[in-house]
Amino acid sequence: MIKIIEKIEGEAKLNFNFKENKIDFVDVEFMSTRNIENILKGKRAFDALVINPRVCGICGHAHLMATVQALESCYDNLILSDKAKIIRELTLNFELIQNHFKWFYLTLYPLFGKKQQILKATYPSQLMSKAIAVIGGQYPHTSYAIVGGVACEITEIDLIKVQHYIAQTLKFVEQNLLKVESEVFLKTEDANSLYDGDLTEILDEIKNSELLGYGKSYDRFISFGENSFFKKGKSVKTKVTHNISLVDVKESQITSSFAKNVSFKDKYYEVGPLSRAMINKTPLIIDVHKKYGDSIFSRILARIYEISQLLEHSRGLIKKIDLSQPSYIEPSIDISKLSGSGYSAVEAARGTLIHRVELESGIIKNYEIITPTQWNLSGGTRENHGVSQRAMVGLSDVKIAELVFKSFDVCSVCTTH
Amino acid sequence: MEKKMRILWLSAITCNGNTHSFLNYPHMEQFLDDFEFIYHPVIDSKYSLQEIVSNEIECEVLIIEGAISEEFQRGGVPIFEIIKNYSKRVQKILTVGTCATFGGIFRESDYKDTAGMHFDQDRALHNFSDFLDKTISISGCPIHPEVLVNTLYAIKKSVLLRVDNFLRPKEFYAYTVHNGCTRNEYFEYKVDNHKFGELEGCMFYDHGCQAPFTHGSCNKILWNEVNSKTRAGVPCFGCTEPSFPRDNLFNTKKNMAIPEHLPLGVNKRVYLTLAGITKAFKIDRFQKKILDD
Ligand code: SF4
Ligand code: SF4
Repeated sequence: MIKIIEKIEGEAKLNFNFKENKIDFVDVEFMSTRNIENILKGKRAFDALVINPRVCGICGHAHLMATVQALESCYDNLILSDKAKIIRELTLNFELIQNHFKWFYLTLYPLFGKKQQILKATYPSQLMSKAIAVIGGQYPHTSYAIVGGVACEITEIDLIKVQHYIAQTLKFVEQNLLKVESEVFLKTEDANSLYDGDLTEILDEIKNSELLGYGKSYDRFISFGENSFFKKGKSVKTKVTHNISLVDVKESQITSSFAKNVSFKDKYYEVGPLSRAMINKTPLIIDVHKKYGDSIFSRILARIYEISQLLEHSRGLIKKIDLSQPSYIEPSIDISKLSGSGYSAVEAARGTLIHRVELESGIIKNYEIITPTQWNLSGGTRENHGVSQRAMVGLSDVKIAELVFKSFDVCSVCTTH
Repeated sequence: MEKKMRILWLSAITCNGNTHSFLNYPHMEQFLDDFEFIYHPVIDSKYSLQEIVSNEIECEVLIIEGAISEEFQRGGVPIFEIIKNYSKRVQKILTVGTCATFGGIFRESDYKDTAGMHFDQDRALHNFSDFLDKTISISGCPIHPEVLVNTLYAIKKSVLLRVDNFLRPKEFYAYTVHNGCTRNEYFEYKVDNHKFGELEGCMFYDHGCQAPFTHGSCNKILWNEVNSKTRAGVPCFGCTEPSFPRDNLFNTKKNMAIPEHLPLGVNKRVYLTLAGITKAFKIDRFQKKILDD
């Protein structure tokens, strides 16, 4: 049975094979590709800063960050000010947060037979977009992160504005999502001590319709993006190691779809908020994982918890900015004279995003992009399922399979970049 | 209550950036009272994509996002066919974004002859010329949400919109992006000392700012109601124009120290004369930091 999954920034085709009324195998197919990697070939390095945000309308900022870091890693000793690093981290946090709101209110709500909450999605995500715009000029599609720092200069007044957007967003979270002070929520360590906001409404729905524990996959998590909040590492069940290398990440072509498979040491891993929290050993998420494993319940809670965490963390980051530092330090060599290769890994809303670049006298010889959805949606074989495939096997209802599929926050445009 | 105007939002070869830019429209509640989507890439709608592509559902406005190619399909139906079917029925067609209007970045994707609906960059195309009169171009990468929504209101209220050669409403595209930039004085007095990471300086001279010859309201309406790229210190990349993306975007192409592309309507002789005069001023204010004593 074939089902077209819509409104995931495009569509995907799921071909369900049943055996004794249970899903036995799912073919995941994406139907188009734009081939950004080809578009980049032969272009000047800096032009990638403008082209790459256009990989994706909802996580383009992560692509900007991955691009600038990949280009910077082509240099031997490029210096960035702490101020520039913090500013970049802030705007990326804001993008993650706007994504999570949209996913919760636009994607998740209808899956429980509820009306989409368009205004609850747009109000807080607009606040986050404004916070990015105060710093980077606009959202989506700014290119304000440049090799050597950021193109903007900011003042105390800009920081005051950004703090207001954060405060206002926190208020929205407290009054709608949680119905509890965010401080209390952040200290919660028991996944069952829930409150009565929109989050609880959805989580209760899962409990009441006996979906708890649905959507489990390999219980293997990975994350490569590192910054002041996220840690690099992998977690197999709850065993965390930080010593992992991008060398072991492999991308491979498959015949059935425009999406390419991604594996680490030939195994499929889940990426995204749940993975990040497992690797960060976030107490609440460790607890929910202990109770319900890598299920839809845990995935949803992890993503929403990340909103509160990132808002709080961003508040702290702003206090660390030393405005007397330069925003931009001109690299000692002009990029047009640079040959070499580099890579980057950045945590985007949906998980680890990897860019690799090869330059010859400042011209792009080769560019490779691995997006988060590729990790989660790799289409495996019957013997070796991909993460989302495995999470759907054994279910009997295609509607629930769609819920499980979308619990990974699938993005079709990114996948088929 | 007045009837809601029905919109079909059709995605072609796109990043969905216009979809998300639209979600930043500040008065969404009002908008949703006045308009409804029979289909939209992320907002729920009455019809599924299958129903949209295999029937002809009543609607008044067709929005196309993304570049188009004969080869590209949506829901198993060639995009050309879907566009033709709906173009016949609707009152107005909006090509939303630079890809749908001129081809944009995805003009270079691997599909055959990828372009905008009526234009391949600045070259006119004829596949859809029957519908030229009905089309309005909302170019930009991405579109500015207020430009899109206010154009939709103009259609709803039957306001006569004057358009330029590329069918862009003059109300928004008769301005240059340069208009209203906080760096204007540095441009006026030809102070060419811009460095990245500073509040001061104009990016026209060295850093590729295309705003003086780019049509748009980015510095008049502002983005997300608060800022613009050029105010923030990012050059304008000319994303509303048929030529987007040019190459070497952070650099100004020059011939004998004169920028190759001059401000709209200004010829080289006038520019040189003007530059000569303004260079004679020594204005201290522009040599120091704007917030310094
Ligand atoms: S930076 Fe660009 S928009 Fe601003 S004044 Fe200079 S040319 Fe005009
Ligand atoms: S400032 Fe320039 S590049 Fe940016 S949106 Fe406006 S026209 Fe496009």
